[in-house]
Amino acid sequence: MTQPAVPSAGWFDFAKRHRAILASIFVLVFPLVMPFTALAVNILIYGLYAVGFNLLFGYLGLLSFGHAALFGTGAYLCGIAIVHLGWPWYAAIVMGILGGAVMAAGIGALAIRTRGIYFAMVTMALSQCVFYLFYQAVDWTGGENGLRGVNVRTIDIFGLKLDFINPLTRYYVVAAFVILALFVLSRILASPFGAVIEAVRENEARARASGYDVTRTRLITFILSGAFCGLAGALMALHLSIVPIEILHIETSGMVVMMSLLGGMGTFFGPFVGAAVFLLLENLVSIWTVHWQLIVGAVFVICVLFFPAGIWGTILKRINK
Amino acid sequence: MAGLSFDLIALQLFTGLALGAIYVLFAIGLSLIFGMLTVVNFAHGAFYMVGAYVGLFLLSLGGNFWLCLVAVPLIVGTIGLVVERFLIRPLYGRGIDYPLLLTFGLSYVMVELIRIAFGKSGYPFDTPEILQGAVNIGVGYFPLYRLFVIGIAAAVLLGLWLFLERTSFGLIIRAGARDPQIVRVLGVNVSRVWLFVFGIGSGIAGLAGLLAAPLQGAIPEMGATILAEAFVVTVVGGMGSIGGAVIAGLLVGVVVSMTSLFAPEMAKVSIFALMAIVLLIRPQGFFGRAGLMS
Amino acid sequence: MTTLTGTSSKVILRTTGVSKKFGKFVALNNISAEFSRDAITSIIGPNGAGKSTYFNLLSGAFPPSSGKVEFEGRDVTNVAQHEFAHMGIAKSFQITNVFPLLTTRENVRVGLQAFVSRYDIWRPRAKLPGLVEKADALLAMVGLWDRRERLAKELAHGEQRALEIGMALATNPRLLLLDEPTAGMSPEETRVMMDLIVKLSKERTVILVEHKMKLVMGISDRVLVLHHGELLAQGTPTEVRQNEQVKRVYLGQREH
Repeated sequence: MTQPAVPSAGWFDFAKRHRAILASIFVLVFPLVMPFTALAVNILIYGLYAVGFNLLFGYLGLLSFGHAALFGTGAYLCGIAIVHLGWPWYAAIVMGILGGAVMAAGIGALAIRTRGIYFAMVTMALSQCVFYLFYQAVDWTGGENGLRGVNVRTIDIFGLKLDFINPLTRYYVVAAFVILALFVLSRILASPFGAVIEAVRENEARARASGYDVTRTRLITFILSGAFCGLAGALMALHLSIVPIEILHIETSGMVVMMSLLGGMGTFFGPFVGAAVFLLLENLVSIWTVHWQLIVGAVFVICVLFFPAGIWGTILKRINK
Repeated sequence: MAGLSFDLIALQLFTGLALGAIYVLFAIGLSLIFGMLTVVNFAHGAFYMVGAYVGLFLLSLGGNFWLCLVAVPLIVGTIGLVVERFLIRPLYGRGIDYPLLLTFGLSYVMVELIRIAFGKSGYPFDTPEILQGAVNIGVGYFPLYRLFVIGIAAAVLLGLWLFLERTSFGLIIRAGARDPQIVRVLGVNVSRVWLFVFGIGSGIAGLAGLLAAPLQGAIPEMGATILAEAFVVTVVGGMGSIGGAVIAGLLVGVVVSMTSLFAPEMAKVSIFALMAIVLLIRPQGFFGRAGLMS
Repeated sequence: MTTLTGTSSKVILRTTGVSKKFGKFVALNNISAEFSRDAITSIIGPNGAGKSTYFNLLSGAFPPSSGKVEFEGRDVTNVAQHEFAHMGIAKSFQITNVFPLLTTRENVRVGLQAFVSRYDIWRPRAKLPGLVEKADALLAMVGLWDRRERLAKELAHGEQRALEIGMALATNPRLLLLDEPTAGMSPEETRVMMDLIVKLSKERTVILVEHKMKLVMGISDRVLVLHHGELLAQGTPTEVRQNEQVKRVYLGQREH
């Protein structure tokens, strides 16, 4: 009987097997250690955005520079549902998820026909197109000024009335959604399709020869990614009570790329670590200089050169050695 | 169409050519770098932006526009050399996404540095006096500066064509784009060729930024916008193809300017519609064969 | 299975007038050939003869510029590559093509999974019955059972080639296409591979591409010789060996 390939620290194995529960516990106490609860909410939301992105880039290997379109569409559709259609909060969130998924289907149908390197270019261009479209549709989106009035004060759920204005309550509501999303993600990764995603990333030609439709796999993954990002966008709209047009900027696409790489691509929790690092840097560094973006950019460049596995990814590697 | 409208359309066409000239200069560098190094240079827009700002800076030191025309591409090109040598070269062989990610991170840093040095809100850029005013080109009066831009772009294209077709170094570049292995076997220092190509590409991007500045001013975000638009150009023309970059660049410029005549709010969106059509009908672009230059 | 009209179902694969151009370069010119079921057919020829291009056409990697490819009587000229496995055709690549960061066992399991479930995003794949056991059985058949937990990239070159065969077998193919299966192998590894191929050919048709003529003459039922993109000769090994044109092409060439 062969030995396991590498011996691993006993506690780490334990943590891995019970990662869902441990993560949930961590999420529950997290806001209590953060300087501002709003920061904790932001980390959760951007973390979820990065999770959606990571499914496509870390697991499937497709680098998209247009994910702002998915995040932003989710936010706008949720906001529109509440502001213009008067829908309840849960319907608006569903709209956000669908919005992200449908936008992903549209962009994906065009972008996935291109070879790997071009995908980044085409997604960036198409996302810019989405920006212009939403910018023009002033009646629905508020144009330059953003969509205002996305006010949800109470969350009615099974008769329980939660005060969404209260920062801590808001955090737990958002956390509930994020945990639900992570549960769905773990199902996807453990499913037969999850194995196909990895196979396609590892060797596209071999996956085809084995009978897998690589193009369809990519499109489905892109749509799933869009659903996660759409949910994150919807939560963002509820959190900010406004959908700013900047959410569709190229910078928002770049931001999630940075977060993912900083945290560690292809890992389950890496995106949250990346989002946390990014946002904490923004908050802490901007205390003594307004040019925190320079620091983040420099850290990112250093990671690309020397720590491509990201912070969490590098930690995982070290532990597994 | 009434005679009056014809003049208007013709003038708008020329405006499109001027805009297209900028796109062409920008996209050529992108195509060159991709064709030779197989790197999608996400910092290309940042080099463009830096070109405009370096121009601003030199002018503020008392220089003139003609000096800038020479100095800006040289300075930006040198920055490009340094970037390729120390930041991109370590990443070859690591996987196609890494140079892209690095250039993206670099652009982020470069934009921030410019914001620190020059502020967030951007600067207007005056058209040099000697190039102000308009010229009668038969169908009406057309800004002299825009004619100048078209002229410079044509001159750069000619110079580049002569360089690639008539010099031995140009021959190496063309051969290397087709088959890097053979070039190495023949004893050519491929690294040095790549270094040089990156420098040329960045330098031309800087020149494009300088030329664009009197038309749209200099703001730190100008690089990101034109990068997205240049991606449309490369999809339409075919990545790695110089000829494709020229034709597609002019086409895109004309499409934007003509659309803004009839439906101004759709002007920018129209080029993405063009890109979508190309992606559906001919995803490799009109002249596209990756790795080859035509 | 479908029988062909007019011809016996002995022909499992047929190309009719197949050509392939890359730009102006003609890689293959008008190749018409029939491959018999349950036989071992080898495609040989000097380097640059177009063997790999022909192989790629037969295995569906790209369509021909002109001509027709038929599998079991069905026109497969423009069928997408990923459908081939489901039709009963499996291939191995000239340059080893496995999933490097997946374990050896997972490499084969994922090949088996393609026939059970491709798009299920909810059910845990650990619950799919029998895939792991079948994968282990296939690994045992190609001699890789005790390397099943290793990452594919850690395997020796010959082992990776064997893994590719294992993955090809996972699709339960009636036709096995092998592109230079012994490339880069030591004489010992080559012998093991050839024995495996003969063993596999008992239950399925094998078409293999090789440029080491000596190697395949002993095991093939039929041989096709390509040269400069043309079909130079075809027949039994004896017939081909005695063919004047073949002798001229190979005359003076050192056997590898």
